[in-house]
Amino acid sequence: MMAPPAPPPLYTLRGAGSPLNALHFSCYGGHTPLLFSGSCQGSVNVWNLITRRAEKVLDGHSGGSVIWLNTLHSKDALISQGRDMRVCQWDLAEGRSDVTDTVWTGSVGFCRCSLLEMGPGTWLLAHPGEAMEEVKIIEMPSKRPVCSLIPEGKLGMVMCIKLWQDPGSGPLLLAGYEDGSLAVWDVSQRSVLSCASAHPEPVMCLDFDPAGKRGVSGSSEKSLASWSLDGQHRLQLRNAVALVNPGISQLCIRGDRKIVASAGWDHRVRVFGWKKLRPLAVLQHHTDMVLSLAFSNHKDPRDRLLAAGSKDQRISLWSIYNQD
Amino acid sequence: MDHQIGNPKLAFAYLRPACVLLTREPTVGNVKTLSTQLKHVTDGTLQQLQDYVLFPLRFVLKIPGPRQDGLVQAVAEVMAYILESSCVQNWETLRDLLSELCLCLCSPTDPGKPSPASEELKSAVLRCLDALLHAAYGDVVFKLFEPTMLPGLGAAISLLVALGEQEKSRTVQAAALKCLQALTLQCDCSLDHVIVGPEERRILGNTMASFLPGITIAMSRIITGDMRHGHAVTVRAIKVWFQTVGLVMADDQLQNTEAGERPPWELGRVGELVVQRTPDWVRNTSGRLVLLLKKIISGTSAHQHWRVRLEMVNLSHHLLANCNSSLGECVGLLLEALVGAVNDEEGRVRERCEAALMEVAESSQSSDGNHRAFTDVLSENLHSLATALPRLMRTSDDQHKVFILNVFLGYLKILGPQVKVVLNSAAHLQRVSKALMQVLELDVMDVRIVEERSSVVNIETGPGPQQARAQRKHFLYFTDERIFSILKEICRMLGYYGNMYLLVDHFMDLYKETSVYRKQAAMVLNEVVTGAAGIGVTGAQERQAVPSEEDMKAVVESLIEEYTSLGHWHLATIVREEADTADLEQLSQSSLLSISNGVEGRGNPLHLVHKTSTIHELNSNIWQICIQLEGIGCFAQALGVDFRLILMTSLYPVLEKAGDETLLISQAALNTMRDISQACGYASLKELINENSDYLLNDVSLNLQRLGIHPHAPTVLSVMFNHSDPSLLPLVGDIVQDVLQALDMSYDETSPLFCTVLHSLMKAVARWFVSGPEGTSENTGINKVWCEQDQLSLRQFLLDYQEQKDLAEGIGAEEDKDSDLPEVLPRTDSEEDVKGPDVKADLPAHITIAKEVMERCIHLLSHSSLPLRLKVLDVLELCVSVLGENENELLPMAHRCWPALLLRLTADDPLAVLRAFRVLCTLGETCGDFLRKRVCKEVLPKLTASLSKQAPVSGRAGPVYSHTLAYKLQLAVLQGLGPLCLRLDLGDSDLEVVTEACLPYLSCRQPHKLQEACLSVFRHLLLVDPDALWVTLNELYCPCSYIPPHTDLQPVQLTGMGLQRNEYTDNVLKLLEDFGSPQDTTSGDPKEHC
Repeated sequence: MMAPPAPPPLYTLRGAGSPLNALHFSCYGGHTPLLFSGSCQGSVNVWNLITRRAEKVLDGHSGGSVIWLNTLHSKDALISQGRDMRVCQWDLAEGRSDVTDTVWTGSVGFCRCSLLEMGPGTWLLAHPGEAMEEVKIIEMPSKRPVCSLIPEGKLGMVMCIKLWQDPGSGPLLLAGYEDGSLAVWDVSQRSVLSCASAHPEPVMCLDFDPAGKRGVSGSSEKSLASWSLDGQHRLQLRNAVALVNPGISQLCIRGDRKIVASAGWDHRVRVFGWKKLRPLAVLQHHTDMVLSLAFSNHKDPRDRLLAAGSKDQRISLWSIYNQD
Repeated sequence: MDHQIGNPKLAFAYLRPACVLLTREPTVGNVKTLSTQLKHVTDGTLQQLQDYVLFPLRFVLKIPGPRQDGLVQAVAEVMAYILESSCVQNWETLRDLLSELCLCLCSPTDPGKPSPASEELKSAVLRCLDALLHAAYGDVVFKLFEPTMLPGLGAAISLLVALGEQEKSRTVQAAALKCLQALTLQCDCSLDHVIVGPEERRILGNTMASFLPGITIAMSRIITGDMRHGHAVTVRAIKVWFQTVGLVMADDQLQNTEAGERPPWELGRVGELVVQRTPDWVRNTSGRLVLLLKKIISGTSAHQHWRVRLEMVNLSHHLLANCNSSLGECVGLLLEALVGAVNDEEGRVRERCEAALMEVAESSQSSDGNHRAFTDVLSENLHSLATALPRLMRTSDDQHKVFILNVFLGYLKILGPQVKVVLNSAAHLQRVSKALMQVLELDVMDVRIVEERSSVVNIETGPGPQQARAQRKHFLYFTDERIFSILKEICRMLGYYGNMYLLVDHFMDLYKETSVYRKQAAMVLNEVVTGAAGIGVTGAQERQAVPSEEDMKAVVESLIEEYTSLGHWHLATIVREEADTADLEQLSQSSLLSISNGVEGRGNPLHLVHKTSTIHELNSNIWQICIQLEGIGCFAQALGVDFRLILMTSLYPVLEKAGDETLLISQAALNTMRDISQACGYASLKELINENSDYLLNDVSLNLQRLGIHPHAPTVLSVMFNHSDPSLLPLVGDIVQDVLQALDMSYDETSPLFCTVLHSLMKAVARWFVSGPEGTSENTGINKVWCEQDQLSLRQFLLDYQEQKDLAEGIGAEEDKDSDLPEVLPRTDSEEDVKGPDVKADLPAHITIAKEVMERCIHLLSHSSLPLRLKVLDVLELCVSVLGENENELLPMAHRCWPALLLRLTADDPLAVLRAFRVLCTLGETCGDFLRKRVCKEVLPKLTASLSKQAPVSGRAGPVYSHTLAYKLQLAVLQGLGPLCLRLDLGDSDLEVVTEACLPYLSCRQPHKLQEACLSVFRHLLLVDPDALWVTLNELYCPCSYIPPHTDLQPVQLTGMGLQRNEYTDNVLKLLEDFGSPQDTTSGDPKEHC
């Protein structure tokens, strides 16, 4: 069955001036939908998605590459993680652009943070720690340390993490390591619940769907690994999806759990159906590695976009599979 | 006569003799005497003596037998004087005087007809009559209108009417009509008048009802009759008409008819004359009045004199205000007349009309009962007018069309907010829109529209301040520009008052439905949206609901989306097979032409058959695009600054069209861009493009990847380059990479398109960064080189010469090293380039771009398509001139492109050879040293050899030769050689080679053009080395002998001396002339050093 050719991007945001490592949408609420992008040179651009122009450029990581962006609660409370070993919290309300607080992580790696809302006004932030394989979890915004998770075996550097709340137990953490293995941590017990070797190469990225208890992870090889958790939080490897070209920078499952997108080193964004990981589309536009992905959280499904940031310094916006 | 007599007794005594005399001897003289004496009596006294004084005068009038005109006139004048200064209090006096005066006016034989008396007499009598009516007291004057008086009154009225209608003199006509007004107590002069109360008015109306038919018919005859009787009479007649009608048909009188009507039978025969204003009668009368009114309106609506039109407005206003319900059938007509004057060219008429309309509209809306009826009438009128519109537009003349459309517009204005309600009726909307569709049909027969191309020059100078004129549209059914502007106003008015969504939907349906209505529908849509935004709407009332910004934006967005959709935007506008038939014929005959026209001539001749049949389609397409472009401009203005957001989607398509080949389209697009930048608050087109370059480039880069579907991205880029400045470059850098990449990907199919982009890119870059005049600035000081040298003294020359000679002999060894230098130079440059990568980041963007582009040019130089090669050579030239400032970058590039360029110079089509020469010259400007050696070694020998070889051939050839490839090559080489030699500063030996090869072309046996080209070569060489050239030329032919000024000097011997006139003579002489006059100059004998 031949699918129709993929559409062109809805728009391409230019002018970031350097490769784009991190993207984050902020579209809920009545305000102007925004897209935050973090660049290699340490700047965060705030894009107005109505005018499709950069409204603001934030500079808080003194040149260190920004690798992760998120917002606490509202668009005005941005947090950004940079390779200057800091996580910054921003106040963007009423035209301000000030760093209100910073967390020193001590990590020089590429591992992105993960944020989990615990209750009104409290979050858990997992970030890579000073030691290569360490993941630290703190409470936000109080910065109170919760725990530090260091695996016993030699798994190597921590590459990617994902926090989520399991209804049966406390918060859980998925971590991918340099040797290609994945581990499920029970944050409150500070113990590894299960561990599996998903890739022969380092795990570059992962995303997990808590509702379906399934996840995908990518590596530098020519396949995606998919896995699930059983009732005892044991990792079960499932069938892998073969890719044409090796290397995945980021994986993103859309909020409605219908599709998952991969940012490829082959300049392409691939879209899969989340249910069976059936390949749906190859979005070809960038002229260099795609480094980051984000799905928008707009309240109108038709305005939900996919953004892809690339090493070619452009962000492409795609309007795909959102017509129901 | 200092003071008048105030005592009645004295006055009586004073006047008595004259009165008695007059009674006894009725002569003009006696009348005059009385007249002078009367002037000595005060008004009050005169009033007391009125009857006494009037008696002799009336006596005179009653003298039996034929009347003397002079006498009657004199009497009438005196009576007028008396009546003007006094009042008539006595009913009998009034009645008798009236009848006596009427008798003076009517013919003695037939009392119903006016007398044939003199004009003066009639004037005097009419004046007298007027004075009488003004002098009559209120209590007596109303007796005139009692039923018993009907016969007498009727006689007077019919007499006055007859005078007004049949009299030849205008003044008499006017006076008669004025009397008629006075008689019916409707006088509007400045004197005091009797006050008419409602009851009196009712009696008046009752009485006048009897005369209504007579008066109205006669008045309409006057109004619509001969235009020659002047406007004053017509105006009077209109007044009489509407005052009479207004009086008799007044609503307030007819609504309570029962009150105090006297039964007619009491009056006997006179009773038959009395009219009972029953509802039946009213209906019949108004039915008849409609007919008259129609005549009157059609006769006056386009009257030349504004006073007449003004009076018509008064008529309509008066009747609409007073007889709205009784004249039911006339209301439509009256409104039409009123509305038609809304846009009158005379300000006073407009003003009056607007006030009247406002009043009518208000009164109609305030009284609820009438309100609906009034709106109904209006919408019915509108409906029927819309129905008739297409027919009227076909059949009537422009003047009338303007009137009709004004009426149409006027209806909309009066309907005001009701337009929305009226248009909610599908039938109405259908009618109106059909009418507009038909009326606005364009004439698409003009072939020039299709033929006119936007010239390259035009596009390049585009950013200049000149405002491209908007092309006039040609319509099938009218030519007057005013008509179009009224139509546009109508549409705007519809948009202003109507439901914008409903209208836009309706016309959008028409637009989509069929191509027949598409252009008209788009025109209407443009104006509707403009009107909805409240722009270009004058004299309109306030709207209840102004469309919100959101609504406007939504509508505009959907319209633009529709306009710029693939099927409506990318229409065929040029005949694809442009090849001229003549060329095609030649193509089959001459193989030569097939080279130069290879690509254009590719078209299949069979396609030409279709060409004529589609011209109209093309024209129509062009107009459609233009109208849509205008629409985008309108929408921008409708939204103002809010349009900035829509630029994201709309600016790109507009720029696409700004680069269109068809002149009309590109101009329309430029105008649209101006509209947009004005609406969005940008100061200039440049700002518009610079500020929104991100939006544009987004589409450009997307479409560059899909050239098959969207082939216009390069055009848009070109337009951007043409209108922008260097600040665009950083953003564009990104796209240039895209372009180059796309070019690399699709080498064959799209390279011509990309070359166009590269060309405009480089042209823009050259414009932005290359300061000095680019290209070859040749021949600036070429003439009379030698004249300057005349100034040098002989001695100085010899000294210099000696020095040179010593130098040559003494340090000859070192000179060898010097000659090696040029070879070394490029090598050091390329060494520097090896270090290049370290400093590469510092290269300015434009240099990087130029380098990248030049790189592609190298590949494309050997493309198989000639036009492409030519284009590439142009681009190359620009690259070279841009890189000129940075020799370190230029030299390695020049080095790399040399082999390809060499081929163009030596083994290509003549056209390419010529352009390659130009590139070479530009290259020579910056890296002459680098080139000299290569040119001397690789280019010159080949060229000169071919020139020498061909010279005898062309010398012998006939006229057909000029069509051969060989000829074209010769010409190209000769044309290029001159500037090249000059640029490269060639050495002696190379110059000699060139000279030798060119000399044969100085022969007059050569084709003329070759001779010319050759002359240009020598003129260039003249600048390089005049001396050597002089000798060479003189060896061919020397026109004069040189006698040394001093015996020590040897006589000059030149081989050309004393020769007979030969084939070279003419051209040699021409060239020698450029040296100045050589005859007398004996200084500096160049022969000596040979």
